[in-house]
Amino acid sequence: MVTVHTLASLLSYAAFLAAFVCGILFLVQERQLKRKTMGVLFHQLPSLEALDRANFVTIGVGFALLSAGLLSGFIEVRLSFGRWWIADSKTCLAIAVWGLYLLLWGMRLRATLRGRRVALLSVLGFGLVLFTLLGASYLVPSLHPYV
Amino acid sequence: MHIILVGVNHRSAPIELRERLAFRREQLPEAFDRLREEVGLSEAAILSTCNRVEIYAGVPEADGTVARLRRFLSERGGIEPAGLAERVYHYTEPQSVRHLFSVVSGLDSMVLGEGEIVHQVKHAYEWAKHCGATGKVFNVLFQRALNAAKAVRAQTGIGCGRTSIGTVAVALSEKIFGRLAGRTVLLIGIGKIGELTLKRLADRGVRDIRLMNRSPERAAEAAARYRATPLPLERLQEELLEADIVITSTGAPGHLLCRADIEQAMRKRHQRPLCLVDLGVPRNIEPSAGRLDNVYRFDVDDLQGVVEHGHRARQEAVDQSRLIIDHRVERFLSWWREDLERCEPSPSALAAAP
Repeated sequence: MVTVHTLASLLSYAAFLAAFVCGILFLVQERQLKRKTMGVLFHQLPSLEALDRANFVTIGVGFALLSAGLLSGFIEVRLSFGRWWIADSKTCLAIAVWGLYLLLWGMRLRATLRGRRVALLSVLGFGLVLFTLLGASYLVPSLHPYV
Repeated sequence: MHIILVGVNHRSAPIELRERLAFRREQLPEAFDRLREEVGLSEAAILSTCNRVEIYAGVPEADGTVARLRRFLSERGGIEPAGLAERVYHYTEPQSVRHLFSVVSGLDSMVLGEGEIVHQVKHAYEWAKHCGATGKVFNVLFQRALNAAKAVRAQTGIGCGRTSIGTVAVALSEKIFGRLAGRTVLLIGIGKIGELTLKRLADRGVRDIRLMNRSPERAAEAAARYRATPLPLERLQEELLEADIVITSTGAPGHLLCRADIEQAMRKRHQRPLCLVDLGVPRNIEPSAGRLDNVYRFDVDDLQGVVEHGHRARQEAVDQSRLIIDHRVERFLSWWREDLERCEPSPSALAAAP
């Protein structure tokens, strides 16, 4: 159970990292198109449509993996301590990340939000992911001993 | 043998003259016959495009060939030799060889570095070969020239960048949408650049083309040319919801599309990206519409800026291209010299033979 939990959680962070990279590239490309400054990167970057789709897919995958990671974590706690919930900063943060990406993905799916704003949120969202991954171990006390 | 070139191009002669000298494909066999019999060429190729008519001639003796070729051209075009004198240029090797290599590499083209010329030279060579007009030297000459063009295009930026408003508009749309096949294009107003842009988009697989014009007759007429759907201008607001790319080129004063129209349309489109290409002067689309999310607006100046950037980049590649061409020309000439020596042994070598 430990390995499933760790593996799924780490892979979900990797997916969010991919979404973050797509988001950054989208923002760069979008800015160039808006400002009509076709720089060096312009010809190498994929189209906005492709970046937007990749961002959407990676967030979806990351979200599914994070859900699996959280669920396996809860089961693990239940098996070890006999209850579902132990208050821990990292768990709380992970749930916040989960909620954030759910919201983002849902909005993109229902097409109320698109393009630059989704890209921007996926870039900012990754900040929270990083804080969950590293901050919860070093900056705030947590029951999770590893990063 | 000598390689001689006689011809006219877009710099030396106006179109009225070039079109009288141009060769159609079906005229080539007869032309090659005449070149062989009347001018005395042993090998020949004719490059006839909208920007140039050039005869590449291989002759055993150069004496008088240029004059005979000039006469051939003036008879063919029904033009007094005096009228052609200044317009026709001629080169002998090595300049003739270098000229061919430069032409096929796009250095002599009206639009520097354009790629169509490679196909045109290739066809000119294939037709000459098909007519039996080329021999060993010309076969090697043209193949080497085509290879040189390939090297130049691969190693320099001569073919990079966009050089027309139409291709720039297409490139920008592709940066937004990726593949353009399956996209919907709406053209409002019929003008030369608008139609050219439409043509480029159609080349990239756009099939759903809709046309609007103040005069419905002209819309219907242009629609027939592009297999497009003509629509009345009143449907503009509804069409704005379906189109991916909107091109406007009307002469109407005031804005055809205001920021508020587009903002409303974007909400109804669920923020699906919209590319606006405004070719009108004065502009047809309120410029501030370009600040809306997921709206990408380009006007004539924006596109022209990219075009000029492309031209500059190509200009910078010229020197590098010339170096490659010089090298390739030198290699061809040394092959040719060796070949001549092999085929025509010197008198002393003959005398030494038993």
